[in-house]
Amino acid sequence: MAANLELQRVDEWSGMRGFGNLFRKENRAWWGTRRWWVNVLVWAVILCGLTANMLFVPTIASLADEGEIARAGGLTPYVLQMGLSVFFEFGLSALAIGAVVLSQDLILGEKQNGTAEWLLSKPVTRSAYILAKAAANGLALLVLLVSLPSILAYGMFSVRLGAPYPWQPFLSAIGIMALHTVFYLTLTLAMGTIFNNRNVVLALGLGSALGGNLLGGFLKPLLPVTPWILNKTASLTASARAVPFEMGTAPLLATAFWCVALVIVALVKFERTEF
Amino acid sequence: MTHPDDFVIETHGLSKFFGDVHALRSVDLRVPRHSIFGFLGPNGAGKTTLMKVLLGLSRPTSGSGTIFGHDILHESVSIRERIGYLSQQPRFVEYMTARENLLFAANFFFGGPRPKVQERCEEMLELVGLRDKADRPIRNFSGGEKQRLGIALAQVNYPDLLILDEPASALDPLGRQEVLEVMGRLQKHTTIFYSTHILDDVQRVSNMVAILNRGELVASGPIEQILNGRDGVVYTVAVKGSTQGFGERFAELPWVTHTSVKSNNGTSIWQIGVSDEAKAETALLRFMLEDREVTITEFSRKRYELEEVFMEIVKGEGNGSQS
Repeated sequence: MAANLELQRVDEWSGMRGFGNLFRKENRAWWGTRRWWVNVLVWAVILCGLTANMLFVPTIASLADEGEIARAGGLTPYVLQMGLSVFFEFGLSALAIGAVVLSQDLILGEKQNGTAEWLLSKPVTRSAYILAKAAANGLALLVLLVSLPSILAYGMFSVRLGAPYPWQPFLSAIGIMALHTVFYLTLTLAMGTIFNNRNVVLALGLGSALGGNLLGGFLKPLLPVTPWILNKTASLTASARAVPFEMGTAPLLATAFWCVALVIVALVKFERTEF
Repeated sequence: MTHPDDFVIETHGLSKFFGDVHALRSVDLRVPRHSIFGFLGPNGAGKTTLMKVLLGLSRPTSGSGTIFGHDILHESVSIRERIGYLSQQPRFVEYMTARENLLFAANFFFGGPRPKVQERCEEMLELVGLRDKADRPIRNFSGGEKQRLGIALAQVNYPDLLILDEPASALDPLGRQEVLEVMGRLQKHTTIFYSTHILDDVQRVSNMVAILNRGELVASGPIEQILNGRDGVVYTVAVKGSTQGFGERFAELPWVTHTSVKSNNGTSIWQIGVSDEAKAETALLRFMLEDREVTITEFSRKRYELEEVFMEIVKGEGNGSQS
């Protein structure tokens, strides 16, 4: 067709056909709507608000007994330790819940309302569809839910310390937080490809985020092979304290493995999905 | 002789089972290039299933198919490069406007230049008459407007084949009229394969028809041929006067396949089936007028309405309720 001549066809690797456009669409859903600043606001308030409460409200510190403060090495180290504990231990759970809630509809919703069918009627591979969702939403979660509150929190810890907080342990702990959040994103994406019921997807994600630690308490061998102990790992890492292998390297490697495995599950399952 | 390239879609023994439910049973379908192919069938006949199998959205249980000569199972992405699809209930990206949705859809096919891609989107908005509403939120669109936007989205890549699933079924008469007009305008650019159960629409815009019933393709061909019914070409002749011996005389004509007669107020209404239409056109009336005892008051080729043919075929085969 003559009118078609000047237009250039998309030049993309056939195995990932459609990825670029889908990635832009997913990014647009975050960055082109009010969703991004609403989430920045919500997570900054939740994570940093509680941490600030620990760091700067004198009555909180006054509740501690002298022995605890002495063991920590003084009031400031004690308050910092409490702040790190809130930011990382509570923060990881909160972000896990956030990741599950924010991503529960990404695949399931589009499967149910017909958008996925429409998108897959275009020259799009199913792998591109899943990976675009994982990449764009992973990016948004890491920037908006993890990085921005972390920068703010780092500032607060530095202000409370009166000097820049040691960045290496803090950054390592942020890395653990990021991995933990990505795990819950990939878990929810994979569940969205397997199940057609939103309640099941939510129950599995939230069950792991909220009940995993409890379950790990009963079945200790599960802790090194799941992300359920990473809250404590992050908190200890941020305090620059030693982390034993079964609390550090083992669950970190296992979580990284699960992230990859869950993406593969999502790819395989979605490849077989019929619309 | 037909060339393989003359057919855009070809399926061979295509079947799809959902457990015990046989949604498609060994469907052999051929859709000629540049046709408006009406795909008919009662609700649950398997029309949508077939479309989804063709698009790679669902896998066939057995059989094979090609579109533009590409295998529907293994070359689906290449096929979809050249296809536009409108589902029964078109979906859009809700947070985008009509123009943004078009640009998004176009970006699956075209990498640039951007002004040219935008120009193509404007052409589509013009084609479906939505230019003045292009920047409005889609949630405020009427059913007809959404359907027209769906067609624009399906057409944005200059597809060689448009697959439309019930494009007008959910619309009021005005909306239906609009959609059919758009389809008519698109015919010169593309092949249109669309499903419907609105027989009137098919008769208005299609030149090819297939009828699917209980997952089985029970009729397929040019609409003229389908409208001839299963009895082939039949002439209706109203005759006054004695027609005794007509039956025997017709039997002598090698191109007359069957006859039947009914009497109505002194007039005999003859139905004469023929195998050679050209011969019948020139010779049948002359042959009857040779009998000076009778007066021919009416002579016409019997025209079926599509609804008659459809009902005859579907009832004859037994209506199904499978999906």
